[in-house]
Amino acid sequence: MLIKKRMKVKLFILITIPFLVVLTGCGEFKDIDKMVFVSMIGIDETDDPEKPYKIILKLYVPTSSFRQNPTPEYTYLSKNGKTLAETISILESHLDKELDFGHSKLIVVGEKILQNDNYKEILDFLIRRPDIQMISYFAVGRPNAEEIIKFLPAGETALQPTIFNYFDNNGAESSYIISTFLFDFRRRLKEEGIDPILPIVEMNEPKTHFIINKSIVLADNRPPYELDTDKTLLFKTLSMNAKTIFFAVKREREYFVSRIDSIKSKYNVNVENNKASIKIEMKLAGVITESKNTLSSKELSRYSKMLDEEMKEKVSEFIHEMKREGYDPFGFGLKYYAHTLPKNRMTHEEWLEAYKNADVEVVVKSNLKSTGSIQ
Amino acid sequence: MSSKVNLSWIASQFEDKNDLIQKKLELDHKQITVLFIKSLIDQELYQKYIINPFFELPTQEQFNLYLFALPQFQEVPSKEKALYFVMEGNVLIEIQDNLYSLDFKLSKNSDVNSTSVETTIHGSELALSDNLMTNINVIRSSYHQPSLMIEYFEKGEVNKPKMALIYDDKKVKRKALESIREKLEKIDMQVITEAPQFNTLLNDQRYSLFPKMLLTERPDRIVYNLAGGKVILLVDGSPQSMIAPVVFFDFMTTMEDNYHTLAISYYLKLLRYIGIFVCILLPGIYIGAVSFSPEVFRTELMLTIAGSRMGVPFTSFVEVLFMLFFMELLLEASIRLPKAISATAATVGGLILGTAVTEAALASNIMVIIVSAVAISTFVIPVNEMAFAIRIVRLILIVIASIFGLAGLTLGFLCFIMYLVNLTSFGEPYLRFYNYRKGNQDSEGQA
Amino acid sequence: MSRFYYYLVMINMIANIISAVPTILLRYRNDGAVLSLIVGIILGLVIVIVYTKFFNAFPGKTFPELLVQTTSKWFYYPLLFFMAVMWFIAGISTLITYSFLLIRYLTPDIPIMLIGLTLILSIIFGCFMKTDRVLYTIEIVFVINFPIIIFIIIKAYTSKNLNWDFIREAMLHVVQAPNIHAVSSSIFLFLGVVNLVIFNRFFTQKQNFGLKQIIVLVFIAIATTFTTYFIPIGFHGSETVGELIYPWIATSDSMRMRYFVIERLVYVFLLLYLSMAFLSILIHWHVAVELFKYIFKLEKMKFKGINIGYIILIVFFTVSSLYIIVSLTEYQLFQYSKYFFNIAVVNFFAMIFLFIYIIRRMKGANKKANES
Repeated sequence: MLIKKRMKVKLFILITIPFLVVLTGCGEFKDIDKMVFVSMIGIDETDDPEKPYKIILKLYVPTSSFRQNPTPEYTYLSKNGKTLAETISILESHLDKELDFGHSKLIVVGEKILQNDNYKEILDFLIRRPDIQMISYFAVGRPNAEEIIKFLPAGETALQPTIFNYFDNNGAESSYIISTFLFDFRRRLKEEGIDPILPIVEMNEPKTHFIINKSIVLADNRPPYELDTDKTLLFKTLSMNAKTIFFAVKREREYFVSRIDSIKSKYNVNVENNKASIKIEMKLAGVITESKNTLSSKELSRYSKMLDEEMKEKVSEFIHEMKREGYDPFGFGLKYYAHTLPKNRMTHEEWLEAYKNADVEVVVKSNLKSTGSIQ
Repeated sequence: MSSKVNLSWIASQFEDKNDLIQKKLELDHKQITVLFIKSLIDQELYQKYIINPFFELPTQEQFNLYLFALPQFQEVPSKEKALYFVMEGNVLIEIQDNLYSLDFKLSKNSDVNSTSVETTIHGSELALSDNLMTNINVIRSSYHQPSLMIEYFEKGEVNKPKMALIYDDKKVKRKALESIREKLEKIDMQVITEAPQFNTLLNDQRYSLFPKMLLTERPDRIVYNLAGGKVILLVDGSPQSMIAPVVFFDFMTTMEDNYHTLAISYYLKLLRYIGIFVCILLPGIYIGAVSFSPEVFRTELMLTIAGSRMGVPFTSFVEVLFMLFFMELLLEASIRLPKAISATAATVGGLILGTAVTEAALASNIMVIIVSAVAISTFVIPVNEMAFAIRIVRLILIVIASIFGLAGLTLGFLCFIMYLVNLTSFGEPYLRFYNYRKGNQDSEGQA
Repeated sequence: MSRFYYYLVMINMIANIISAVPTILLRYRNDGAVLSLIVGIILGLVIVIVYTKFFNAFPGKTFPELLVQTTSKWFYYPLLFFMAVMWFIAGISTLITYSFLLIRYLTPDIPIMLIGLTLILSIIFGCFMKTDRVLYTIEIVFVINFPIIIFIIIKAYTSKNLNWDFIREAMLHVVQAPNIHAVSSSIFLFLGVVNLVIFNRFFTQKQNFGLKQIIVLVFIAIATTFTTYFIPIGFHGSETVGELIYPWIATSDSMRMRYFVIERLVYVFLLLYLSMAFLSILIHWHVAVELFKYIFKLEKMKFKGINIGYIILIVFFTVSSLYIIVSLTEYQLFQYSKYFFNIAVVNFFAMIFLFIYIIRRMKGANKKANES
């Protein structure tokens, strides 16, 4: 017993002494005020083939008191270079502090980068670095990343860049904004059977705020395909990411807008004899919020029918367009793989071919519950 | 040996100090000799029960019988015992060469105190008294079991206070009781004045950080623990008692927990445990987050911290130690100061120092918030001794966090748990979850 | 069964999420990993049940004690030594993986030597605690961490970004023939029960081990295995998940706590798994230390009241694991882990035959004792 007790004392000393020794020579101590946090990363393509990348970093400038100084302050670093890692290490030499990427929440690439395959290299770099969040948002900047990064919209406060709120669904809950996380971009890019889709960030003309309502679909060996505002909305609806959408129906002399707040959609992909058929079932529920004509509550089922038809038309048109061009942001291919045993599967090329010629069937069941406060 | 010789031996021990009174009374064939220390006995009782009957009762036999019937009556086995009885406040009576002792002890300190350390809102406000007999009276009168055992003994070579070891014979943990007895045997001290001394006397690990016995002044806690099979140590002249063996969770309960409704007492317990986590970990988390991994916490928070640290000349580690040091000083100071001043001291120290330090940019605003949060949560721990130990653990964890950041802090905390688990209080593991099975039908044993 | 038994089994399963097991499994995702998982679950459960029944038959007895009673010296000393080394390596593999994780994600500025040393120093003294104290430590740490584990799992399963199509696609690979490496690494998840060789000392009463307990174990086994393998696929796709060195770290980095003080779940995950790794190493090394103690009679090596044997063991553990940490690369780690899992699984299956032998001998011994 006694020896054990003595042992314990010695063990205690054995533990503490190395700690104290190490403490005295501790050189890893790096205080937060010696660091500078990156808020967003922008990557553009230059015309110089020697230095194809231009990196723009937006850095937070900490303020001593948020209340005293609510206007946002940022500093920017930019540099052209051949590879991303080298360029960033050169950028670090421009600062007296250490760059910390752990808080960067948005990566904006210039539109030009998407034209060639450079974005794969960028993605590789971003994923490989452990300190860059896999949950940072990935977006496309128009006209280029630099302008988006350097743009301060009116009404922005310190510490909270407005642009994050767009993607967060925290402030704005728009049905036009696609938010793509870095890891989501990566898996869509690398997996067969699903294609990445990225939001496009623009500025309005007098440059007071951002506009994010378009998106861009990427696919192997094809130029990026841009989705306009309506198609972005349809995509969000189909992928069940939208919470509420407003959808206009113009048919049979009626013209009304419905607010759909419950959206359920299901895809089914069947392949028989190398002939693919895609079946999409949607269930919608909502209310009518605006109408040119007087509506009658009795006829709600008729309006629902009209909504069905309108939606069906738009959706099938959209999907036909997508498959004609050979883009698959919905993951129909993945759906197909998920229902087919590995040995029975077509190769990717075969599938792409089958997808192009696939039959599309859209079934919409909507249920309009009310005409709003008035008939 | 005759009782005469004994009496003169006792008297010689006191070397004719005038406090000791020896009187010979003779009347109509009745003859007794009394011996006592005047300042220790209750003179009224003496008058009423010895002097009056002596003169009123007709014969020596009747007087003898009368004395024999008194509840204070005791036989005296030896002269050493006789000496001890005299010093305890007994009156020695020598009748026909026999020596008897009568307990007429006068105690002026037998009133029960009101609680001063373990104050509660609900429950009794009364604590133990300074008198051992009163204390035992208090305990016995609220614990009605014939199996309640009280063993008296003396320790401390010089002052020899009377002590009591109290336990419920049916419920007590035998192993713990044996170990306590064994350790009591080994005590080698000149002076023992207070019960809390046992905490160090019965502990063989000199460097142990955590208390192995629980100090309490509340009779209800004593009764509660007796029923739980624990052993109570009381010392005459000390208004505090020690409870052993104890486990970590004993230090986290207040008696009030039993007086609240279930939901409230669980809520309060939860609050307390969160408090202990905050108070141990918060400074370490600050250091780890500020100096090692600023990417852990959310951006807004880290930027606020970074902003508030602007212009602070110290690294986070020094900053934390600097502020904690003053907080600890403040705590110490307010214990020593008289009550009237201590409130002022706390205000001056806490408020003025805090604001001035941030104004002068010696520490960040957030640091001041953290230090005060830590100080408040320290007070949530119900038993003081545990709070002291926790304060030291906190310092150790700060040091570890400043070497290895958050990972080190986590490891340090795990080691702290391991250390607590490895501690033993009189054979009982210090920290473990109880087996809530019925009875003692554990399916696993100790290895 | 006593709840401590479940801790032993579960901690090995949970802690291996950060070890090489998911990486190895995911590497064989197109070569029969799914069927291997199923085979692994069945074989693993066989091991769990056999070991539990065996040790339950001899309550309070450790494996070395049983061996001494039934076999001869030339047999049990090498066997025990082999097992001790095995368990030491099991601890090291967790230790190295976690050191690599720390330097990669949490404390990139601290040299790896120091990280390793801190981890070792904080654990090694705990390994010399008494067996019951080790179990109490496990219980407390586990209970503190359990809500966080549940939180992360719920968070993962309810995440919008978990794409079930990837999981379904991966599940369809079930038709491929199982792969030996994948099978053995999925069996390794179940080897927590082997810790009973020493920890059986604590279970002095005969335990209740019937159908109900087995059903609980089956449920735990399926839930952990499924989560270990399929959640990373659901987040990172069935093809690209194989590129990830630490699939679970990437997975936890793909979840976000929008309103909490810590926004990136990966840091909660890292700190949580620091505790889990701590427990796992503590268990493994406790068994290793006890076995070494038994083989070399370390209690008796004393010099001026100081137990030299213990110090030698501590120094040996520290130095050898530090050497391995510094010299190993990630690739080697995974390669060697693979072989280690294979050896471990084969060995612990072979031991079942030894158990049958021991049971016979013990019956004979008991009969003799009864007759005389």
